[in-house]
Amino acid sequence: MNQTNQMMMTGNLAAAWGARLAEADYIPAFPITPQTEIVEALAKWCESGAMAARFVTMDSEHSMMTAAGAAAATGARVFTATSSQGLLYAIEVLYSISGWRAPLVLVNVSRALAAPITLEPDHNDVLAARDSGFLQIHAETCQEVLDSILMAYRIAEDERVMLPVIVNLDGFYLSFTREPVILPAPEQVAQFLPPFRPAHLGFKASAPHALGVAVLGGTPYSYFRHQMHLAAMNALDVHSETAAEFERLFGRRYDVVEGYRLDDAEDVLVMSNAFASRGKVAVDAARAEGRRVGLLRLRMIRPWPADAIRDALRSRRAVAVLDQNLAPGQGGILFQEVAACLYGEALRPRTLCSFIGGLGGKNLSEGEFRTIFEQTAEAGVRETGIGPVLLYTEAEHREMKQLQMLAGELGS
Amino acid sequence: MWQRETFKKIKQIPREEHVLPGTSLCAGCGGLESLRLAAKVLGDDVVYVNAAGCFTMLATYPFTPFKGSWLYTTMASAPAGAQGVRDALDVLIAKGRLPRNENLKVVVLGGDGSTYDMALSSTSGAIYRGLDFYYFCYDNEAYGNTGMQLSAATPYGARTSTSPCSLQHPSASMQDKKDIFEIWRAHKPPYIATVAPRYPLDLEEKFARAVKFTGPKLFLALSACPTGWLYDPGETPEVAKLAVETGLWPLKEAINGAVIHTYIPKRKPVEDYLRLQGRFRHLFEPTRQDEAIRHIQERVDTYWKLVSG
Amino acid sequence: MIAVRFHGRGGQGAKTASRILGTAAFLEGFVAQDSPIYGAERRGAPVAAYTRIAREPIRERGLIVHPDLVVVADASLIPDPAARVLEGIDERTVVFINSQMTSEQVHAQSFLPGRLTTLDLTDIALQQFGKRGAISALLGAVAGRFVGLRQESIREAIAQELADLGLSASVIEQNQDVALQCYDAVSTVSVVAGAPQPVGPAKLQTPIYEPPSRGTARISAAANSVLRETGGWRTFRPVLLPDKCNGCWLCFGYCPDGVISMSKDDKPVIDYDHCKGCQICVHECPTDALVAEREKEGGVAWTAR
Repeated sequence: MNQTNQMMMTGNLAAAWGARLAEADYIPAFPITPQTEIVEALAKWCESGAMAARFVTMDSEHSMMTAAGAAAATGARVFTATSSQGLLYAIEVLYSISGWRAPLVLVNVSRALAAPITLEPDHNDVLAARDSGFLQIHAETCQEVLDSILMAYRIAEDERVMLPVIVNLDGFYLSFTREPVILPAPEQVAQFLPPFRPAHLGFKASAPHALGVAVLGGTPYSYFRHQMHLAAMNALDVHSETAAEFERLFGRRYDVVEGYRLDDAEDVLVMSNAFASRGKVAVDAARAEGRRVGLLRLRMIRPWPADAIRDALRSRRAVAVLDQNLAPGQGGILFQEVAACLYGEALRPRTLCSFIGGLGGKNLSEGEFRTIFEQTAEAGVRETGIGPVLLYTEAEHREMKQLQMLAGELGS
Repeated sequence: MWQRETFKKIKQIPREEHVLPGTSLCAGCGGLESLRLAAKVLGDDVVYVNAAGCFTMLATYPFTPFKGSWLYTTMASAPAGAQGVRDALDVLIAKGRLPRNENLKVVVLGGDGSTYDMALSSTSGAIYRGLDFYYFCYDNEAYGNTGMQLSAATPYGARTSTSPCSLQHPSASMQDKKDIFEIWRAHKPPYIATVAPRYPLDLEEKFARAVKFTGPKLFLALSACPTGWLYDPGETPEVAKLAVETGLWPLKEAINGAVIHTYIPKRKPVEDYLRLQGRFRHLFEPTRQDEAIRHIQERVDTYWKLVSG
Repeated sequence: MIAVRFHGRGGQGAKTASRILGTAAFLEGFVAQDSPIYGAERRGAPVAAYTRIAREPIRERGLIVHPDLVVVADASLIPDPAARVLEGIDERTVVFINSQMTSEQVHAQSFLPGRLTTLDLTDIALQQFGKRGAISALLGAVAGRFVGLRQESIREAIAQELADLGLSASVIEQNQDVALQCYDAVSTVSVVAGAPQPVGPAKLQTPIYEPPSRGTARISAAANSVLRETGGWRTFRPVLLPDKCNGCWLCFGYCPDGVISMSKDDKPVIDYDHCKGCQICVHECPTDALVAEREKEGGVAWTAR
């Protein structure tokens, strides 16, 4: 650690530090690449006494999430982490936990989904959980991973919210990437994060209750499901209060969206997660060439910060949404949501463009960003949107053809 | 010779009820009868962690029959839910955030569909980890809550809605019931027992004995099911009795792996049991399925031959 | 279009009755639609089923809110709010109730506004089949009579639907015969299709946020299931003959629902509000001190609740 309390650490280690500083009580775990390093660090700390938490290796992610939710429902502060296939294996349980209104923090280290199986990131995994009732915060840097976990506990445990939160970071590009991270002082964290004392949770002899009971008929079901929606929407205000308090204590500011060089931008690129760093570099490069472009990074995906997105995109000439995911038969998932929330805006951008890139961790090169800005500008002039455009270069296409040749063809 | 120590007379069954009436479980439910008796020993300082199944219907908003607590999880992971609850209680007590007298027993409720198949991984994990909990499986030998489909607990020869009898399969279900008791026993938990609703003192005694053990305490309760087995609800005890008396449902316990049979039946022919139930009617009419009946009898004979060694 | 709503308890055959009616109408060349609605499969729980019959394609679906004919398989459902038997019944609705009472007696005891008619199908079934069981064929036949379907089509529909359930030929034949007896025996009231009712827009009330102690499916009222009475499930009630009782406690030990408690002098006290009538106590009583008596309707179950 240097004098400013900075350490070189990976995104995974930053995530583990988030759980440690939040003083999680309970960590059910299950290994999966590229998340494993998180639970390895936590296992070590629980063993050494650096953390006063119980660490349990479960038999699957499905069991892991069930234990996590049940422990939160019993009144413990719970942390856990997974990736990709693991998240999908557990997804049934995510709906249960949010339905119990049991707040906990789940870190997802994004990794593309099988088949074909691969190890590198895209966001189809975490976005498969977008309707589960978990809130979602997507981080760009290792620092943001740590900070977002602290913020996530405070938001999740607020009586106005009481919903679990997923903090997302990209596999490899953050999970295994080391960079300097400031470690908040534990006393300050304690000041920021009040103890977890939920009114409606906590099994004990003197206050028996039944939780997650079956309902028959749509009337109670609609009511409770809608309450989850209201709770999630409350998280917008709670996030902004939390962000202000976080900034006061730690000097770093995180909003639900982050604008980069938006002031006079006529075209805006919308994206999320670690590649946004690269997007910002590309914005600088395009600016140097005289293009008036900017970037809007979506940090909070659930609740969907529609007002903040509208404010940032109002009156722009053209908006490009770069989705690092693909809904087959539809296109980019975030594109749909951005487009939907702009429709009712009188001064909405005239042109929307949809780009799909970075699937399975495929690199997003400087050249691809240049193409995005060029095509978006042309579309803006024409006032006709484009997409979904797959970012896939000629060189990549040639390489693919060679691989297919080696794999053999039917009848050859 | 196994002897009951705590429950010697029927009038020792506690009068107080812990699972109250008003539930929508079927009239004559053998599973509810076993749970009711078990709860008389377990008391109210309990959190039931429920897997999807017939018992889901015990607590339907806004009503619960329990004086204790309840958490509905999923079909596959109630034992993992028990792990989370148990661990959280332990952590909160250790950290002084929960007074020791607020502690609860953690009891998983799972049907045979969950227990024998879907939740096997999470059950295995919980036993392996030595989780201090009770597991109560109400075994009605089919997926009951969805209307009686074949499960891994369905015995050979039983007709269910997904094991119909036909010319090709005159005996209906073709597989023998999975031996979950032995699967559990292979994990070496401190206590396992089978129980049946017609033998309340045997049941009460086993729950009372289990209290002494820390770790997984697993119960397999024969849940004679009028709705699914197709007999008159009033015959539930009679059906359960014949299951035991024919030797099809051995009453036993295993303490740290050592099996003791807690009741040695005189072994009536299995036919006496089968004939009572509509799910086996095709074994007798329109034509008698001698081979199937013989198969069932032989399985029982083989089992008891091994018992008497 | 004629809209028929069946109410019954799981296991009584309301769903199959709706299908028998639908099939019979279909066999006569009508357009028919039938569908059940129920929670989890459960014997004794309230079930509803719907049959629509028309000359033209039917574009309605699901719940029937304004039925032309309501068939009630179990009178104990009428005061049960969960069953919603009374919903949408007005003066022109024909209501058939499987009951020992006459329609006048029912009128006198309930606030049913419809045109009532009754027949004791349970008793007919008990006499003809010799035991309790589903009365789907009987309900289907009675409903068919009300809407003017022919005997032959009902006979054929019963054959098709009961065969589908795996019943043997002899049982089906018996059901057909008894069902057609009921067809003949029931006093009919003609069912007329109701005119479409003018409907105003629904008044919406969007719920506001509540703390999760109320805003999630959570129950803190321990053991409040006793507020829900299940006594209406019974066809027979266990009755104690005190002189014969030897105070053995077996009935208490075997009762699944825990509705038998033992008095100080070791006599069973039965909670009839909750006893589901499974008859286990009657079967197991070693001295025959508990006997089954056919439930009498009226009185408690029917008056102001």
